[in-house]
Amino acid sequence: MRLGATVQESRGSAQDRAQRDRESRLPISVVAARRATQAATAPVRGLAELLLLRPGPYARVFENLILALIVLSVASIGVEAIPGLPAWATRALRVEEMAVVAVFSLEYLLRIVAARGKLAFIFSFHGLVDLLAIAPFYLAGVDARWLRVLRLLRLLRVLKLQTHILEATVAERTRELADKNAALEQAQAQIKAELDVARALQLAILPATFPAKPGCDGAARMIPATTMGGDFYDFIELSDGQIGLAIADVAGKGVPAAFFMAVARTNLRDLAARHADPGACLAQTNELLCAQNPMDLFVTVFYCVFDPRTGVLRYANAGHNPPYVRRADGSIEMLGGAGGVALGVMPGGVFPDHTVRLLPGDRLVLYTDGVTEAFNAADEAYGTQRLLAEVQAHGDGTAAALIERICRSVTSFAGTAPQSDDITLTVLTRQAP
Amino acid sequence: MNIRFETLALATVLIPEGRLDFGAAVGFQRQVEEVLAGAGSASAAVIIDCSALDYVSSAGLRVFLLATRAAQRAGISFALCALTPAVREVFDLSGFSRIISVHADRATAVAQAPQTPHE
Repeated sequence: MRLGATVQESRGSAQDRAQRDRESRLPISVVAARRATQAATAPVRGLAELLLLRPGPYARVFENLILALIVLSVASIGVEAIPGLPAWATRALRVEEMAVVAVFSLEYLLRIVAARGKLAFIFSFHGLVDLLAIAPFYLAGVDARWLRVLRLLRLLRVLKLQTHILEATVAERTRELADKNAALEQAQAQIKAELDVARALQLAILPATFPAKPGCDGAARMIPATTMGGDFYDFIELSDGQIGLAIADVAGKGVPAAFFMAVARTNLRDLAARHADPGACLAQTNELLCAQNPMDLFVTVFYCVFDPRTGVLRYANAGHNPPYVRRADGSIEMLGGAGGVALGVMPGGVFPDHTVRLLPGDRLVLYTDGVTEAFNAADEAYGTQRLLAEVQAHGDGTAAALIERICRSVTSFAGTAPQSDDITLTVLTRQAP
Repeated sequence: MNIRFETLALATVLIPEGRLDFGAAVGFQRQVEEVLAGAGSASAAVIIDCSALDYVSSAGLRVFLLATRAAQRAGISFALCALTPAVREVFDLSGFSRIISVHADRATAVAQAPQTPHE
């Protein structure tokens, strides 16, 4: 604060010094004249500010006065032309003309003072019209022979009217535009607020914790992209002590994807309770989604049923990235059986069941392509190799800790690049009973 | 993403270049729809040559799905060809290579297209 003030002071004094230097080279009389001019124009500048530049009651009254005088003066030109006008009428018209020209002259002067580029204003259409509106009056005194022509020139005041109306129209349009912008901004803010609520709801329907069961440890995380996405994961406690795990990715983004995600997740969860086999559960979910899919959306789903007592994992895959199993010894296996068609594409899909057995210390890693297709500023993808390196390097620790490590690795890789897709991870570790 | 067009005797070929992600999907969809709408009279087949396509997101897959359906409704032959390995993997994993006809190269795709102009 202090420093800033000092800098400003010194800059101010430097400017003053430069001004003094320049003036010291000029004859004293010129400097004095310039100072006097500045002092004299100060009140005029204030008046121009008040009547022309600052919107308010004074400017409005002045504008209306000018308009009224334009109409009056154009009308009186017509009256003047009537032959045999009584002397008092001619005198009245003469006085009226003087008053009109006085006000127009003041206005012209003020406009020059107020204009940023004075010459530009003088030679602009508006400036020339203003000048022509008053010039005949002053020139009439010089040479009376021009009087008749010059009087006709006063008709150009109609043009003055036009420039005023043009200005008023532009001002009106500007105001309308500002109003519309404000309304638009408000609507946008409302939509954003509603989307934020929707996104919070979307996150809230995902289970926060893994079912507490002896023999296994699980965790999941979804980091939504900047726009609303359609990833989801789910942990479903089944009646026979088994646990259903799902990870899914809806095509596209935005509100449609989020809606489809909610429908897909509800259907899957519902059907998981009724179908012991993952493949049958996916097939039934597919039928329901195909029957209510006006937007032709689809969702890739990996669904598995895990038995914590035996370590047996039965799974089926509807078009999702194949998950990985990291064995306790550090080796990594990809779960085969991918290539089932994503759900919602066409009815009648069949999703074969596959089985894999997790031994104590083995872990299952489910992910969506938001992880492997996280791009950095150089447009490189995070990729499967980086994901697998993290999975391999961290065999110990909780499932949540591994997810945290992967997320950190992805975000540090992506750096400043915006997150374009949801990032979703689920990890299941079989523990010694 | 840039899209090039080539008009052959009996087929219109679209050549999308770069990344077909969520942002590019809407524009690409419009282009494909336009070509399909014009194909009824101009040519018998629409082929998308994917040799210059580096990446396809799920939103991009959806455009191919919509195009397949629109072509079926309009009775136009529609196929993809020359998928790069990365794009091929996305098609295989999502099961889309089972529902959209995909050919190894453009010559095969053209040979497979109907040999008479569509009425």
